[in-house]
Amino acid sequence: MQADVVTLGTLGAQAESTKSVDMATRFHLRTWLWLLLLSPVVLLLFCAVLPELFQLHDPQHQNLRARLLPPWSTSSDGFHPFGTDSLGRDLYSQMVEGTRLTLTIAVVATAIGGTLGVLVGLISGYFGGWLDRFLSRLSEAQTAMPMFLVAILLLSLLGPSVTILLIVLPTLLWPIFARVVRAESMRLKESLFIEAAIAVGCSPMRLLRSHMLPNIAPRILVLAVIEVGHVMLAEAGLSFLGVGVQPPDVTWGLLIAGGRPLLAVAWWLTILPGVLLAMTVLIFNLFGRQFERFSGAAG
Amino acid sequence: MRWFNRGSSSVDGKEPQLETAPDFPSRQPIMGVVVRRVRDGAITLLIVVTVIFTLAHVVGNPAIAYAPIDASDEEVALIEHQFGLDRPFTVRYFEYLGDLATGDFGESNWQKRPALDAVREAVPATIQLTLAGILVAGLFGSVGGLLAGISPNSLFDRVTNFFSVAALSVPNFWLGLLLIVVFAVNLGWFPTSGRYGWSSIVLPAATLGIVHGGRIFQLVRSATVEEISKPYVVVARSKGFSMPVVVGRHVLRNTGLTMATTVGWEYVRMWGGAAFAIEYVFAWPGIGLLMINGANRQDFFVLQSAVIVAGAFVILSNLVIDLFYNLIDRRINSAG
Repeated sequence: MQADVVTLGTLGAQAESTKSVDMATRFHLRTWLWLLLLSPVVLLLFCAVLPELFQLHDPQHQNLRARLLPPWSTSSDGFHPFGTDSLGRDLYSQMVEGTRLTLTIAVVATAIGGTLGVLVGLISGYFGGWLDRFLSRLSEAQTAMPMFLVAILLLSLLGPSVTILLIVLPTLLWPIFARVVRAESMRLKESLFIEAAIAVGCSPMRLLRSHMLPNIAPRILVLAVIEVGHVMLAEAGLSFLGVGVQPPDVTWGLLIAGGRPLLAVAWWLTILPGVLLAMTVLIFNLFGRQFERFSGAAG
Repeated sequence: MRWFNRGSSSVDGKEPQLETAPDFPSRQPIMGVVVRRVRDGAITLLIVVTVIFTLAHVVGNPAIAYAPIDASDEEVALIEHQFGLDRPFTVRYFEYLGDLATGDFGESNWQKRPALDAVREAVPATIQLTLAGILVAGLFGSVGGLLAGISPNSLFDRVTNFFSVAALSVPNFWLGLLLIVVFAVNLGWFPTSGRYGWSSIVLPAATLGIVHGGRIFQLVRSATVEEISKPYVVVARSKGFSMPVVVGRHVLRNTGLTMATTVGWEYVRMWGGAAFAIEYVFAWPGIGLLMINGANRQDFFVLQSAVIVAGAFVILSNLVIDLFYNLIDRRINSAG
């Protein structure tokens, strides 16, 4: 990072107008602002890996004399920054506990769906023909289907579990990746370096892996960052409706659902986990958009 | 009306190149487009039905779902035989398709009546809610997006843009709960749930409107920004027309179609799931609430009917929007 800043600074100084110096400083400031935005994500990662480090209480510890305490209160157990639930469990510690499963499901589901979508997109974009027509129709049909409803049906038929969720969420996801990658690889296929690679006898596998994929990777990454946020929302929605993650597992969506019956007496149980979820998704969204703008400006 | 005869214009053999003239792109006759879209829609509906059948009969076993929890293997086998579940899949599949075609969607074992009746009763409530929601979303999204788009990077643009991204990041059901806490529990302006009178639709419609309005805003804004940077806007401005006049006379005509289609897509998207979570939050007696209740009671036939009805609606709406777009597009082409 430091090296980048220095280069940019000297570049600005070498330029004749002072305007470019301003630009460089602004870029510098912007970068740091964006890195600042990254810090909550790092914090969340730490929460997911080592929840004990951040928890004030055991998230499952019940204390019936400290039920439904509002945020910022103290009980015989100690301090409760976000209050307690109907069994006297500390909400803050539960939210920290829920980070792991929430992030894991979102990232793994995005990885599975993304990989599938990228494979389909590469194949149908590069080879074309009947394979492309078939795969495109498949993803089109799926986009036209109310997949969220089919997911509810599937989850209620098979009995909701994290494993089923990791099958259902990627099926919602892959057409988005497939469409982008297909368009990109169709565009790339026409470029000179691909023609050259074919001319020197590159096998299709090698071509796709070493020449196409690295060129599409930035787009995929941007998309994946945005989609992680969307998957979080989908998982929370399914869990909220009772067909997603089941207790005693903890995710943010489940915490929101758990607080719903007590909405009139204990707003914090519903609102605070939702704030955390919304802010996390917002950060992913802002990041994705910023990356998009950045790579768009570069390309 | 020239476009109407375009399909047969090469019959006389004098100007076959007209079909591919660059300023007048070749188009298939409208009936062909209609037929193709209807066929595609029918195929998609068939896929939905097939997926449901596969889930129910291959992945799961209806006999086990129907039997008591402590039923022995023999009892399950007896139920399988009674319902004809021991016959081959293909036979059952075509029988299933026949049942659906004749309107037999199965009996709800929760409500003790045909499942389709329960769904049919819930449809008006869902239509009412989604229409109210899309009204809010379309109004805020397109007006806001237009105003932000004609002055890119202004303060208004930045602020509204941020809020629209925030609206997209908020879980819709949670937003509904938040509105309940603020406006129903604390301020007491609106009822918390149910469907009694006009005041009960305000909060669910607002929730739907905010979330979907965010996406409409984004799309309308980017369409407007793109349109505003075109040369004709500069020309019109340099001729001395004020910005409102240029936007009203020229820009809106070009982006209006995008706006209308975007609003249409968002409406369909509500039917694809978002409206149903909101119905659950506000206990709005529509398809969504029925579906969740059915899911929690293991009532497969209600679930199945709800998914098929909502799916058919989504597919039909997609079809209508597509055709609408195609028709308008043609008129623009033939006029220009």
